[in-house]
Amino acid sequence: MSLKNVLAVALGILSAIGGFVDIGDLVFNTQAGATFGYQLLWVVVVGVVGIIVYSEMCGRVAAVAKRPVFDLVRERAGFGAGLGTLIAAAIVNLMTCAAEVGGVAICIQLLSGLPYRLLIVLAVVGLVVVSWVLPFEWIERVFGYLGLCLLVFAVAAIKLHPDWGMVAHGFVPGSHTGGSLSVYLYFVVGLLGAAMTPYEVYFYSSGAVEDGWGLKELGLNKVTAMIGFLSFSLMIVAGALFLPQSIDPQFLGTPALAAAHVFGKVGLLLALVGILFAVGGAAIETSFSGAYNTAQFFGWRWGKKERPAAASRFTLAWVVIFALAALVVLTGYDPVKLTEYSVIFSVVALPLTYLPILLVANDRTYMGSKTNGRLANVLGVAYFILIIAIALAAIPLMLITNGGQG
Amino acid sequence: MSKPVEVDIALGILDHQLVDADGVNCGKVDDLELAGLDGDSPEVVEIIVGGNAWRSRGLLGRLAARLAGEAVHIPWSEVESVSSVVKLKRPASELRLDRGDRRWALVVGKVPGS
Repeated sequence: MSLKNVLAVALGILSAIGGFVDIGDLVFNTQAGATFGYQLLWVVVVGVVGIIVYSEMCGRVAAVAKRPVFDLVRERAGFGAGLGTLIAAAIVNLMTCAAEVGGVAICIQLLSGLPYRLLIVLAVVGLVVVSWVLPFEWIERVFGYLGLCLLVFAVAAIKLHPDWGMVAHGFVPGSHTGGSLSVYLYFVVGLLGAAMTPYEVYFYSSGAVEDGWGLKELGLNKVTAMIGFLSFSLMIVAGALFLPQSIDPQFLGTPALAAAHVFGKVGLLLALVGILFAVGGAAIETSFSGAYNTAQFFGWRWGKKERPAAASRFTLAWVVIFALAALVVLTGYDPVKLTEYSVIFSVVALPLTYLPILLVANDRTYMGSKTNGRLANVLGVAYFILIIAIALAAIPLMLITNGGQG
Repeated sequence: MSKPVEVDIALGILDHQLVDADGVNCGKVDDLELAGLDGDSPEVVEIIVGGNAWRSRGLLGRLAARLAGEAVHIPWSEVESVSSVVKLKRPASELRLDRGDRRWALVVGKVPGS
């Protein structure tokens, strides 16, 4: 590997770390940690492996067949079921985008003290301008690197001197203590949903098609494929600090208090800036995912690299999604609650997103000799069964546990 | 002989991406018009794109068709090749497949830098 490649990989890993966490990870990891300590760490591992398995598949489909995910959904599920999937994905995308926009506004509010509703409007205008003006490469860098401030949680996790034996124990699934089975299972579903959010797959595969990935880029892709240790850090911090003091992190700013507890004002600042940019980057990804999906379902011209007026329907789609997201949070609905709903509903939409990927990755007419190997298929099928199970369980568990409140 | 061809149409053509002569996306194969189904050599005569074409595509399709406009009919003779996409011989503008983007470009085009 040349020095340039090493640098590219290193920078890619850095922005992947900063860009990995979104509001779903933030909310579910801290709540799971505050409720069950370290006992659910294994779920994060299962979720991260799952997103890697399916990202690899749709990255390969994008590189070989040049088809993004929603092309595949339409081609394999047909018009009716495909449109159903599109509508479900659009609702989940909008809820997620709204929650992320709300998250951006909350962070700026905590930093500046300005009124929340004004900041929602400013945040969404800022995000639209940034998305319009900057190429994705720059968006990824700016938001990814500033999102790296979240590493303050990794250092805080170490500084809090958690019982490392207990932490290690959390990576092994087993019997649990400190809460009912249904609440435990609710968090299992939520953590898996937060790690395997469908919009990440839509965004990733569309970006790969747009950048004209070939098989060469796939090597790099495997290296940069998401790293989940920030999720571990969030759960460990919550488990070490919030659980013993019975703090229920129902406010988005609560995790930042953990960083403040360890590092004072600087910690608070780093945590808020990190959350701001991680969540802001995710807001852009969700709005574009919604536009990608719609354009791909109807066969429109699409792409960030197109002139906005040439792909006018695609452009309008992402701008409208941002505008609707702002309206949703302007109602005053709590972004944390919105996040919980969006993650749980996204789990219900997962099977129809992942099945076409699995089918096409095995289809020689698309893939030639690059169809799934045995490992990809064993993992792909195993995860698909898991996805169906959690999709069926998600809403009943949410109702039974009153959203994890027990 | 007709059976394997039918499978191909459903899985390999219907719902696939239409790409014009310049490589630009210009809709999906929303429906196909077949002729000669009662004879011994059935063939695809037209690709139907957008709007009304969704009528025949289930309950959601009927609802969507009601909200959308008229379909565009593309004779099969305009098809250059079929791979994972259906490639057309002419640019979208000559086949009236650029209506949607042109209409909304009037709005989006007002923004500086578009």
